[in-house]
Amino acid sequence: MDSAQQEKVRKFEEFVDRRLKPDLVHAIGERDKVFEQQKIFSDLRRNIENLEKNSVTSLRTRVNLGSEVYMQADVPDTRHIFVDVGLGFHVEFTWSEALNFIAAREEKLARQIEEYTRLIASIKAQIKMVCEGIRELLQLPVTEV
Amino acid sequence: MEKKGTVTQLSSIFPAEEAQKASKRVEEAITERQQQLNQIKGFIDDNISLINLVQKLPDETHHNIMVPFGKAAFFPGRLIHTNEFMVLLGEGYYAERTSKQTTEILKRRGKALETQVESLKAIMQDLKAEASFFDATAYESAEGLVEIREDYVDEDSSGTLPTAGYENPDSTSLEVDNRKGADEDEEYERLKLRMDELEREEEEAERANESESSDEDEQTQNEANSTISQNSMNQEVRSSPVEASDVPGVSKDGSSHGDHIALNNSTMDKALELPQDAKKVQTPLSSSNTAFTGSIVEHAHNIGMQLPEQRSGARSSKPVSRFKMQRK
Repeated sequence: MDSAQQEKVRKFEEFVDRRLKPDLVHAIGERDKVFEQQKIFSDLRRNIENLEKNSVTSLRTRVNLGSEVYMQADVPDTRHIFVDVGLGFHVEFTWSEALNFIAAREEKLARQIEEYTRLIASIKAQIKMVCEGIRELLQLPVTEV
Repeated sequence: MEKKGTVTQLSSIFPAEEAQKASKRVEEAITERQQQLNQIKGFIDDNISLINLVQKLPDETHHNIMVPFGKAAFFPGRLIHTNEFMVLLGEGYYAERTSKQTTEILKRRGKALETQVESLKAIMQDLKAEASFFDATAYESAEGLVEIREDYVDEDSSGTLPTAGYENPDSTSLEVDNRKGADEDEEYERLKLRMDELEREEEEAERANESESSDEDEQTQNEANSTISQNSMNQEVRSSPVEASDVPGVSKDGSSHGDHIALNNSTMDKALELPQDAKKVQTPLSSSNTAFTGSIVEHAHNIGMQLPEQRSGARSSKPVSRFKMQRK
C-alpha cells in the first residue's frame, strides 16, 4: 500500500515539476515582454505630449551608430512621426494621430497583460492543488496509524 | 629470474561509464567556449562594419536618415557634423573624436577582441585534447584492455616496465614506490657490503704498495673479467670476517670512506682479489701516507677511468694500472 502511495506521490511531483512549473515560467516570460512593450509606448506617448506642450519643432539628438558611437543628428521638423504599427510597418502620423494610435495600442496591450495574468494564476492554482493532494496522501497514513 | 607481474584491468582503474561522463562534461565545456567564441566573433564583425561606416560618413556634409525616437517611432532627419563622433570609453566617459581618431580607437578595440579570441581558442584546444583522451580511455576500458606490470630485474636499475598505454598516475607511483622500497633495501645491503669491500681494498692496496707489481697486474686483469655482483656477494661473505680485523687499521683512512657511498661496481671486481690475496690478509697494515680524499663515481664499463691519481689502490681495470704509473 505504502509503495503504491509513494508511487502516486512521486508521479504527482513529477507532473508538477515537468509540466506545470515550466509552463509557469513561460507564461511569466511572455507577460514580461508585453509589459515592456507597454512601457515603450507609454514613454513615447509622454514624449509626444511633451513635444506638443512645448511646441518643439526641431530637435537635436545624438544617434547611436552601433557600439556606442554617437553622432549628432538634427530633426528639422518634428511634426511627422513614423510609428511602428507591427508587422514591420511604420505609419506616418501627426502628433494628435500618433497620440490616438498610441492610446489604442496601449489598450490592446493592457488586455493582453490581463490574459497572461489570468493564465499565470490558473497555473499557480493547479500547482497548489497538486501539492495539496500530495500532502493529503502523505498525511493520511501518518495520522491514521 | 624472478618476475613478479601484476595484471590489472584498465576498466578497474578507469571504469568506462565514468570516463564517458567525464568526456561529456568536457564536451559541454567545449560547447560553452564555442558559444563565447561565436559571440566575440560577432562583436569583431560589428566592429569592422562600424569602422567602415565611420570612414564613409565624412564623405557628405549631411545624411538624410530616420532618427529613432524611443523604440517604436522615427523622425525623418539629417545627420550633421559628420566628422564629429562621440565614443564611449567606458564608465560613463565619452570622448569627442574625429573620424580618423575614432577608427583608431575601434581598431584597438578590435585587436583586444582578437587576443580574446586567441586565448579562447587555446583553451578550446586543451579541452578538446582532454575530451579525446577521455574518449580513448573509455573505448579502451570498454574493450577490456589490460595493464601488465613487471619488475625489471637488473642490478643497475630498480625501475618497472608498465606495458599499457594510459596509467593512473597515482597507482603508478604507489606501485613503483612499493617496489622501489623493496629494491632500496637490497641496494642498501649491497652498498654496505661494497663499503666493506672498499675498506678491504684500501688496505690491500697499501700492502700492494710494498709488494711486487706483477701481482697487481694479475689482479687488474682479473678485475676486468669479472662484473657479476652475485659472485662478489658470495665473496664478500667470505671476506667479512677478514674485514672485521682490518677495520681499525683502515680507520686511518676512514675519512675517505664517506665518499664511497656512490655506486661503485668495481668493488665487485675487488672482491675477486681475495682468493689471490689470501696471503696478504694477515699482514699488518702498513702506514700509508696517501689518503684518498676525492670521491669515486665509477660505472661498470669504465672501471677505474675516473680514479684520482692520489689513490694508492690499484683499482683500475685498464691494462695499464695506475698504480704502476704511480710507482714509476
